[in-house]
Amino acid sequence: MRRAGWYLVTGAVAGFAGVLGFHVGGTAAPAVLGPPTRTPAASAAGSAPAATPSARAGGATGSARTAAGSVVQYGYGQLSVTVTVRGSQIVAVSVPVLHTIDQYSQQLAEQVIPMLRSEVLAAHGAQIHGVSGATYTSEAYARSIQSALDKLHVR
Amino acid sequence: MGYESVVAPRSRQGRKRQQALPEPRRPRPALARAGLVAAGAGLGAVTALAITAETGAEFRAAGGAATFLGSLTGLVGTYLALLMVLLVSRIPAIERVLGQDGLLRWHRRLAPWPISLLLAHALFITVGYAQAARVGLWHQVGVMLSSYPDVLIATVGLGIMAAIGVLSLRAIRRRLRRETWWLIHLYMYLALALSFAHVLALGPSFVGHPLTRIVWSVAWAGTAGLVLCYRFGLPVVRSMRHRLVVAEVRQEGPGVVSVICTGRNLDKLPITGGQFFFWRFLTRSMWWQAHPYTVSALPQPPYLRLTVKAVGDHSAAVARLRPGTRVAVEGPYGAFTKFAQQRPQALLVAAGIGVTALRSLLEDLPRNAAPVVLLRGTRPEDLVLRKEVADLVRYRRGRVHELVGTREQMLLDERSLPRLVPDLHRRDIYVCGPEGFVTSIVDLAARLGVPAEAVHHEAYAL
Repeated sequence: MRRAGWYLVTGAVAGFAGVLGFHVGGTAAPAVLGPPTRTPAASAAGSAPAATPSARAGGATGSARTAAGSVVQYGYGQLSVTVTVRGSQIVAVSVPVLHTIDQYSQQLAEQVIPMLRSEVLAAHGAQIHGVSGATYTSEAYARSIQSALDKLHVR
Repeated sequence: MGYESVVAPRSRQGRKRQQALPEPRRPRPALARAGLVAAGAGLGAVTALAITAETGAEFRAAGGAATFLGSLTGLVGTYLALLMVLLVSRIPAIERVLGQDGLLRWHRRLAPWPISLLLAHALFITVGYAQAARVGLWHQVGVMLSSYPDVLIATVGLGIMAAIGVLSLRAIRRRLRRETWWLIHLYMYLALALSFAHVLALGPSFVGHPLTRIVWSVAWAGTAGLVLCYRFGLPVVRSMRHRLVVAEVRQEGPGVVSVICTGRNLDKLPITGGQFFFWRFLTRSMWWQAHPYTVSALPQPPYLRLTVKAVGDHSAAVARLRPGTRVAVEGPYGAFTKFAQQRPQALLVAAGIGVTALRSLLEDLPRNAAPVVLLRGTRPEDLVLRKEVADLVRYRRGRVHELVGTREQMLLDERSLPRLVPDLHRRDIYVCGPEGFVTSIVDLAARLGVPAEAVHHEAYAL
């Protein structure tokens, strides 16, 4: 057939541009990670241990309270983050649950989780930028933290 | 037998296509073009998928570049493998334009790419992961095979693929029997099936992306469906419908026989002159292999004829077929038909047994076509079907040149061909015969300035 290459290249350019356009359109949403909406229902449903409204207003004072975030599934595994706050200040973050589907994902997660931890401690919340190259892990981490903070009624 | 009495008067009068035969489906190049654009779009899409799955930071991290190249080669390689399967699924709309010949040529041309890209994929991914985890390459290989989901089985698939790739290298393939090679080659389907799962389980463009997962799965399921439908379902349905049975085997020349089959509903067989079937003769020793042989005359219900020259085991066995043998067919295939014609008239060139395709193609030419036919043969008895051809050509007010002698005596070159065919510039060239002969004529046509799209050829590769 004549000009076969021409048709092939036209198609290739169209397909390439199409997927790229779709991708850009689909991820143009928030650059900052974290759940898009925090529903009051989520905090009400939480079984937060002794979360007092007054403690929220305080600074780094008062007793430390701990809550486990929900277990979040992400593409390469699942994780859950446990948060400890004093007043409304996040003082400790740990990841007691981490299961990945393969060893590479495990290694990646283990590299990334300390970085995410420092981001959370610096940002005092789930509004972190995440670690590029570990987008899914970062998203899951942020969502789990948010659910823990909701349980603790910390905004 | 019956065919003699049916064929002879017909070719003598050279009547045009019988009223009872259906007008065959015309090839639509636009469909093939659309297919090309779609194939290109897929290629662009998978490339974009590989690129968008990787962020800049990921790329710069340890092992990032190798991992990126790994997923790019993996995606593109697998996609090309999908195209390879599509090319041999014989989608009729595409086959009618490119012909079996063309499809296989593309298939063969494309073949080295998916295999080498997928081997590169395995290598790059292993290197990339090893760099990221800061472990040795062999350690990483062990880790991937033992703990990554579906990777072990995909590696087995890749091994099969690579083995078939090596066997397909020209030097090795030549030493294998055609049937042996073909059977081994079928394991490619197994190899592809084995590697399917790890793509969805691990591919960064698929994990957590239900849309790409669905599109990818549908594309592969659809392709498998097309193969089943056109390579298996349609031939079975056609064979059941027409119930071909060998009626007679007749000697046509040295080592050349015609097999005349009877069948039902042959008036509904959508065949064009110049096309061929894959024939499967259902005897104890031959049922498992199907071979391409040209239909040497359009069907004259209830008869259908093929003419075969004994060049291999199978074609030699055809000469020994008994009347009553049942026959299954796959086809008709081929773009070597009247529909390919670009210019007002035609020059038909045949060497040896290549005359069969021209014989049925002639039947499709209209009464005033004035075709010029060149028949090549070393000895006079090599010009099989010469009488039938002469009758058909005479009825169409054309000319036949019989070129009998050695290649040196009957040289076709820039001087002799224009002398035989002075109006070459207004004719398409149809050439059919052994591969070397076809190549020489195609080259000659190019040197004489005949545009490539007006040269149609069908080579008999042994």
